[in-house]
Amino acid sequence: MKELINFRNVKKTYTVGEKSFDALNGASFSINKGEFVVILGPSGAGKSTILNLLGGMDKATSGEIIIDGKDISKLTSKELTKYRAENIGFIFQFYNILPTLTVLENVELINDIVKKPKPAMEVLKGVGLEAHAGKFPNQLSGGEQQRVSIARAIAKNPLLLLCDEPTGALDSQTGVEVLKLLKAQCGEDANTVVIVTHNSLIAEIADRVIRVKNGKIRSNELNSSPKKIEEVEW
Amino acid sequence: MLKRKLFREIGKNLSQFITILLMVMIGVMAYSGIEAYMDGMITAADKFYSENNLQDLNVMGAGFTTEDLDTVKDLPHVRNAERKLVFNAINSDDNDKGFVVSFIESNEISKFYLEEGIPFDANTKGVWVDSWYMRENGLKIGDKIRFKYDSLELEEVIVGSIQVPDHIYDIKDESALLPDHSSFGFVFLSVNEISESYIKEIIMKEAGISNESILNILMPNLDYKTLIPFNYIMVDVDEKENVDSVKNSIEDKIESAQAIIKIEDSLSYSTYQGEIDEGRGFVGIFSGLFLFIAILSVITTMTRVIKKQRIQIGTLKALGFSDLKVQLHYIGYGFWVSLIGACLGLLAGKFFIGSVFMGLEMDFFELPNDGAVMNPLSYLVAALVVLGISFVTYLTCRKQLKENPAETLRIELPKVKSGTLGFTTTSVFKKMKFATKWNIRDVIRNKIRTLTAIVGITGCCVLIVCALGMLNSIDHFIDLQFEELYNFSYRLSLKQDIKTDEIKVLTDEYGDKTSKTLGIEIKDSDGNREANTVFVHDAGDYVRFVDKNNDFMTLDRDDGVYITHKLGENENIKIGDTITWHIYGSKDYYESKVVGYNKDPQTQGVTATRSYIESLGIDYIPDSIYTNIDLSNKKDIPNVELVQDKSNLKENISGMLEMMRSMIVIIIFVAVLLGVIIIYSMSILSYSEKQYQFSTLKVLGFEDSKIRRIFIKQNNWIAIAAIIIGLPLGRGLTSWLFKICIDEKYDIDTHIYFITYLLGAAGTFLVSFVVSAILGRKVNSIDMVSSLKSNE
Repeated sequence: MKELINFRNVKKTYTVGEKSFDALNGASFSINKGEFVVILGPSGAGKSTILNLLGGMDKATSGEIIIDGKDISKLTSKELTKYRAENIGFIFQFYNILPTLTVLENVELINDIVKKPKPAMEVLKGVGLEAHAGKFPNQLSGGEQQRVSIARAIAKNPLLLLCDEPTGALDSQTGVEVLKLLKAQCGEDANTVVIVTHNSLIAEIADRVIRVKNGKIRSNELNSSPKKIEEVEW
Repeated sequence: MLKRKLFREIGKNLSQFITILLMVMIGVMAYSGIEAYMDGMITAADKFYSENNLQDLNVMGAGFTTEDLDTVKDLPHVRNAERKLVFNAINSDDNDKGFVVSFIESNEISKFYLEEGIPFDANTKGVWVDSWYMRENGLKIGDKIRFKYDSLELEEVIVGSIQVPDHIYDIKDESALLPDHSSFGFVFLSVNEISESYIKEIIMKEAGISNESILNILMPNLDYKTLIPFNYIMVDVDEKENVDSVKNSIEDKIESAQAIIKIEDSLSYSTYQGEIDEGRGFVGIFSGLFLFIAILSVITTMTRVIKKQRIQIGTLKALGFSDLKVQLHYIGYGFWVSLIGACLGLLAGKFFIGSVFMGLEMDFFELPNDGAVMNPLSYLVAALVVLGISFVTYLTCRKQLKENPAETLRIELPKVKSGTLGFTTTSVFKKMKFATKWNIRDVIRNKIRTLTAIVGITGCCVLIVCALGMLNSIDHFIDLQFEELYNFSYRLSLKQDIKTDEIKVLTDEYGDKTSKTLGIEIKDSDGNREANTVFVHDAGDYVRFVDKNNDFMTLDRDDGVYITHKLGENENIKIGDTITWHIYGSKDYYESKVVGYNKDPQTQGVTATRSYIESLGIDYIPDSIYTNIDLSNKKDIPNVELVQDKSNLKENISGMLEMMRSMIVIIIFVAVLLGVIIIYSMSILSYSEKQYQFSTLKVLGFEDSKIRRIFIKQNNWIAIAAIIIGLPLGRGLTSWLFKICIDEKYDIDTHIYFITYLLGAAGTFLVSFVVSAILGRKVNSIDMVSSLKSNE
């Protein structure tokens, strides 16, 4: 498979007041196109920092982040905005859908920034929410709201789907449904999905598992026989 | 400890709490300040009038004798009476300056307030001069002044600098809008200063005697002092309720009384009282506007504070703090902020608004004063404001504070009422852009915040339109009066005792366009009489008239009288009605049909043609001649009391505009300040509420400029809505202020030029846009990572 992400010796230092600490300290790993990747680690390990850097939401202190052959660590703020708009689909723990837009409008929102988005209704059908298109987010359950978030992300047809604890606020049954949906987005000719979580069970279904601890990559392993979602005991 | 938390939280939401504080402060300041200057004026006048014994009645006529005076003094309820001879004289050294000269016998009524010099004594030679005139002209005690009236010319040494209770507001003539102490003042002299020769001259003129020796033969024992033509009797009545009966008695008993005017109807008294009444009119609206905004700000700010502190409230309750303690803590936000605002408002009210307004007012009224006086009611109002704001704070927080701790500790997800927003998902809304839909829904979700912003920005727009509108209207009034109605260059005011042949000499030289103003009383159906005037018109096209639309009209009906629109409205007199009136000094009543309305911006009264007046049997002896002959170098014309140059009159009034302009600068400053405070505060509130959503948009790949435009768009809508409401309201406020601030005798149109509306709209929009644009820059610095860590 073709390499999509190459994280090279990336360092990210945060300064709070007079103190500074390294959230990432020389992290390196690579991810291939179409993989379903889980970045695993305890709280404060640096996994969210990796996600933010991959998503162009934050800039590395040093190192290179090559995405699809391009070093995004050198991009300006304006270029990063373009990068996010065209290449990245985000899925958040608390969904972050806009409360005053309906389900359909939340997905159509992408039309304002992407030239050729997927048809919103089609995407909603894909996540099983076509019947809820006219509803406002607070009329939906948590799982449904997360599916709106996924629909919004995949409507862009992004290179990379970045998910920050996507099942963290959901019960296990709903979490499974969401994971099924995310898994379905991966493939050679489809999206690459990177999930950041501390739930080690999710690692069992991943194509690749990256373990992070104290700002360093502890391991980057390919899962030769990932389990099916139904096979995992949640 | 909770108090420490309270003040730290206030510090964290400083701009919103400062808005509340400022609005409470401005509201209380406006109320207490206006009350303070009104009370200052009332106190000053009450003290001056009572200590210096202001008269209750002015009896005007010609040649009041000692017997007349004694008769008045002997009337029931009359405490005292004094005669005086009053006329307008010209400064011999500068013909552009003049005085009201009063010769008095004693000074028990309308007594002098002596700033400097010696008290009045009938045997003292010299003159007591208006203290402000002295100051404006650099005169001091011991200086000499010279003035002349007719053939009487006096040179007197100044022995006192005075203020007098019936001369607190003196204007040169009816065309002057404001007093000008540099060119016009009052002087008092003892009656002993009138020369014998002058009195003899008057007697000879009246008797048609040309030689003094003939007079000496005819009146060998002439005591000239008994023949001084006193034209005023000031009457001091024991109680106010007896003034009318004394007035009626004087009418019955004093033949030579031509007019008896209550002091309340005199120009000096009524103008001063009018200024106090004006304050009463606008004290409510200005303080009300700011307090209303304060209440709206409290609701929006406290709703947000409570929302943000949901978990903290739950924690406090879980820790065992009683509901009351928690409630009192949150009420404290409104209480402490409004308490500080109200205290600052009271201080600023007395020492800023009160003193400034008092100073402005006292530039026109000549009386001793001790400055603005704090009305005890202001403290009560300030206390009520604090309680009111605290109560509104309680009402805002009540629902959340009543929840049980378990409920409160749960994260509350943003609520969107689909019922309210449902309509925005259908029909035309479907086709709208995301930013438009999103903003519409945000406005609907945050009604109070939007309303606060609209009210504040509307206030800004209203104040700008009103400030400039007042200027436009006065400009228009001056143009109408001096360019349209006055179609002459000079008006010659003729002397009272002028003879027909002398008038002919003048009309031959300056033209025959003349008029006469008759002092009259109009009697209503209940027998009540109201002082007024009839302007008898024989001035051709030199004095023009307009209807209520300011279109020229001709007054040519000889079968009745015309009345001004405003008089008709105020007295409910319609065309076709009959009015009953008599001329002062005559007991003959006339009944005249009202044949039309005209509009007069400066005087409300009756107008009639010369032929109509003559058809009633009234002699027409003009008192004014109008001419376009250049009289710029001719100030002293025989038998002419005063030569009025139209351009000077116009200039005098334009001088008033200078003062108005400085007031307008202050009003516009307040307007801009209000706009900036409200837009800034509400935008900060709106921004912080939306920061999470903006952050999401940013993560999704929306450019900063696009997000900024979404943010600014809503403020632009609010500004446009406020402008649409504010422009007509600005016009309304201008009309209303003219109604309450301008003396009853004026009928000034609210005339606002298009450019003013344009400036009002552009100014308001600019204020809003600039503040929004500055705040919009915050979007650039949204930290996506930390913003997304917390949900809305």
